[in-house]
Amino acid sequence: MKAVTWILRILSTATFAYMAYLVYVALDESSAWGWSAPYDFVVTVFHLLSLLAFFLSVLIMNGLTAAIFGGQLPDQMVAWLYNTLVLKYWNMQPYGVDGPISDVNLVFESFQMDLIGVMLSLWDNTFSFLFFLLAGLGVALFLQSLVRMDHKFSGGAFLSIQSILIIGAFRGLTVPNFTIFPTDIIVFLTSSPQILALVSFAYLEFSYQMIYSHSVGRPVEDREETLKTQLLALRQATRKQDAIESGEKVRTTAMSRASGATAFSFLREAIERKVFGTTEALENLDAVSDVRRLQHFVDELLLSNPNAREELTAKAAAPSESYVIGSTITGSAMRFLGVVIISFLMMSPALFVSMLSLPPGVEYSAELLELEFILIFLLPISLLFVFVSVIIGWFSQREEVEVVELTKEEKEAIKKRREELKKKKKAAVKARRARKKAKKKRKAEEGQDEWDKALEDTYKR
Amino acid sequence: MITQRGFVVLFGGVLLLTSGFVFINAYLALLGVYLIVGLVVTLPFFAMTANIAGIEVDREIDKVKLFSGDFLRVRVTIKNTSRRHFDFIEVWDRYPETWILAIGENFIASRIEPGSSMTFSYILQARMRGRYFLGPTEVIMRDRLGMHYFTRVLKEKTEVLVYPTWKDVRRLEAMGKQRQLGLMFGSHRTKTIGMGTDFAGFREYVPGDPFRLIDWKSSAKRGDMVIKQFEMEKNIQVVCMVDSSGSMGNGYPENTKLEYAIRAAVLLTHMGMERRDLVGTCVFSDVVHSYVPPSTHPNHMYGVLESLAMAEPSGWSDYESAVEYVTQQTRKRSLFIWLTDLEESPAPLLNAMKTVVANGHKAMVISPFGPWFEVPVGQFGPVEKVLAEAVSEELWERRSKISRALARFGIAVVNVGPEDFLPTIIKQYEEAKRMGVAMF
Repeated sequence: MKAVTWILRILSTATFAYMAYLVYVALDESSAWGWSAPYDFVVTVFHLLSLLAFFLSVLIMNGLTAAIFGGQLPDQMVAWLYNTLVLKYWNMQPYGVDGPISDVNLVFESFQMDLIGVMLSLWDNTFSFLFFLLAGLGVALFLQSLVRMDHKFSGGAFLSIQSILIIGAFRGLTVPNFTIFPTDIIVFLTSSPQILALVSFAYLEFSYQMIYSHSVGRPVEDREETLKTQLLALRQATRKQDAIESGEKVRTTAMSRASGATAFSFLREAIERKVFGTTEALENLDAVSDVRRLQHFVDELLLSNPNAREELTAKAAAPSESYVIGSTITGSAMRFLGVVIISFLMMSPALFVSMLSLPPGVEYSAELLELEFILIFLLPISLLFVFVSVIIGWFSQREEVEVVELTKEEKEAIKKRREELKKKKKAAVKARRARKKAKKKRKAEEGQDEWDKALEDTYKR
Repeated sequence: MITQRGFVVLFGGVLLLTSGFVFINAYLALLGVYLIVGLVVTLPFFAMTANIAGIEVDREIDKVKLFSGDFLRVRVTIKNTSRRHFDFIEVWDRYPETWILAIGENFIASRIEPGSSMTFSYILQARMRGRYFLGPTEVIMRDRLGMHYFTRVLKEKTEVLVYPTWKDVRRLEAMGKQRQLGLMFGSHRTKTIGMGTDFAGFREYVPGDPFRLIDWKSSAKRGDMVIKQFEMEKNIQVVCMVDSSGSMGNGYPENTKLEYAIRAAVLLTHMGMERRDLVGTCVFSDVVHSYVPPSTHPNHMYGVLESLAMAEPSGWSDYESAVEYVTQQTRKRSLFIWLTDLEESPAPLLNAMKTVVANGHKAMVISPFGPWFEVPVGQFGPVEKVLAEAVSEELWERRSKISRALARFGIAVVNVGPEDFLPTIIKQYEEAKRMGVAMF
């Protein structure tokens, strides 16, 4: 299965690269990829922070002055703070000031203007920064998906890249779009937004197929690895126990952890019991004997049954590669075809409109040209698929109803067991009543010790 | 039906679709439609293929009865008897929670083609005695992209009976082999002089003694008539009364009073069988759960093990009905060894003991003392410590009274903790053998 996974890995990489390239090109037309955007964003954030720091310092120092000296902070001090915190650290660049400001009124005027300017600039820079952030995130998640084979990373990479276009659309940048949705399927298929959509969908399809091919072959490989580790750990453990018995100091469980203890908690537990439970000598003896007996059991099993190892690793369960390749191609092709055709029909309602021969009021209505019109078809058709599958599922469930027929002996045994239980319960109820009675009697004669009383009663009789 | 992965795709589709509507962008709406349609388009096909009727699971185990602590190989075969391809099938074979997965894995994930089968196996260790079931088997079928799934549970279960642990017997045998004779070891034979073939000694001739017993050589040497004496080994009959009331279930898990009592009963039966003594076992609480009459039959041990394996701590101790049941079935003089925590009312217990003695039996009580089986006092805080000590003292006081009361019937009460439970039962058995209690 490794070869199939690698082919799909390459396909997934190619489609991701193409998708990312198309998105880059689409936004590049609006010059959204200013390479200084990340730097500008960081600088703007610091500008904002310096303004906030100034404001807070003035507030705090005013409060302190009022508390200590009973007056306001001197104007020179305020001007000095502004010159130091806001202007000096950023070389007076963004605010078009030639030198330090000494008039306190000018200081606050400038502060007010600067704050609004910085906020507006931050609003602009944030989006440019977000493009880079999402692009970086998308690439990082994509790389992770290649290694970790987890759908979360593939889905994350897809959403990150598409989010760039969503934000671009929000900012009013030029993003791929259909001015008029084509009614001709050939025009639709060759249009650039459709190509980008199809490539994006293909990326998702290939990456999920890649994860499937990995996960369908991997468990068998993993099993084999786990078994090897377990058997190795077992051999080492018995050696370790010998060392423990002979009084040598053993480096606790580091070995079991290093050699796949996650897959072999039994051994680790056994060894830990041995190493740490020094007070429980018998328990330690059990742990040692457990591991030894397990080793004997496994050795005997592997010797007596030549298929035992294969069954433990489930080697025979590995699927054939050729079928996986064939079914991947046909399955993906069918899905692509189905998705593209159904989506086209839903997006372009002209066909349905002509088929249904709607009244002119509806046929020429402006709503038909609205994008939201998709929902009229999308919801029922999607739910129809779900409904059909539920019906099919319901029928298949009916097929699997198992009727367990009991033999005569089994029925009789059940009957007998029930009767016995009934009898026993009856006897128990009787005994319980007698007990209650005795208890009541005892309660009535409180004051005397129950044991003394019982003894007396016993010897009287 | 829809997996987490499917929901991510659905979320992406809805996000893109709504973004398309908001920003009047047909591309975003189209991609949203692609994702939503892509999610549902294969659903009917998947529902058609994911029909569990085509999957058969067959579980095989090496043995259906094993001892606690033993290992068991479970072999699971999954067959696809249908003509459908199952793209991704996960099979989880469930095993009891208290068991330990020692080697291998109890699940498999793969694809399965029509008419083919796959087999996997794993090794389990049974930790606690009782009746257990392996299974059910959960089969999860996913589509290729992992967006939909169907789960089915195949209810076939395999019953396994786990006997109480055999480790005590093994340990006893191992130590016996090493000839480490101590408190726990050393066998005593119950002998009676008279019949038999083993030479026991000489004694003076008494008129009436058969002439064939006169040892002429020794008589000539001593100048007086001397006869030879022979001895014969006699066996004893023991009935082990295991109390399985609710209070016997107290203590650390796997180390409750009942577990120790069961281990003691197993050890006693084994020792008895080794020495050709008759040992029976009765498990009771408010009802008599099982009674295996004393026997020397080779399969007797299995009967005892089975009855002990099923014991569950529940109900209260009805000593009287237990004694009535056993004495009705066992007429021969026996030694009743009670393994009970004596946490019931005194009157029924005294009555029961009276019945035992009145029927000509002997009895003794080996009683696990509750506080010794609980959490060590060292682990308590100061308040709990004081409370625990107070409770312990009160219980001990009660114990003393019980001992005094039972002593009047000639019944000894031995209080035991987890450490000395097994040595005590061995010691008491040896003592009984030595004294020749309840010979038959």
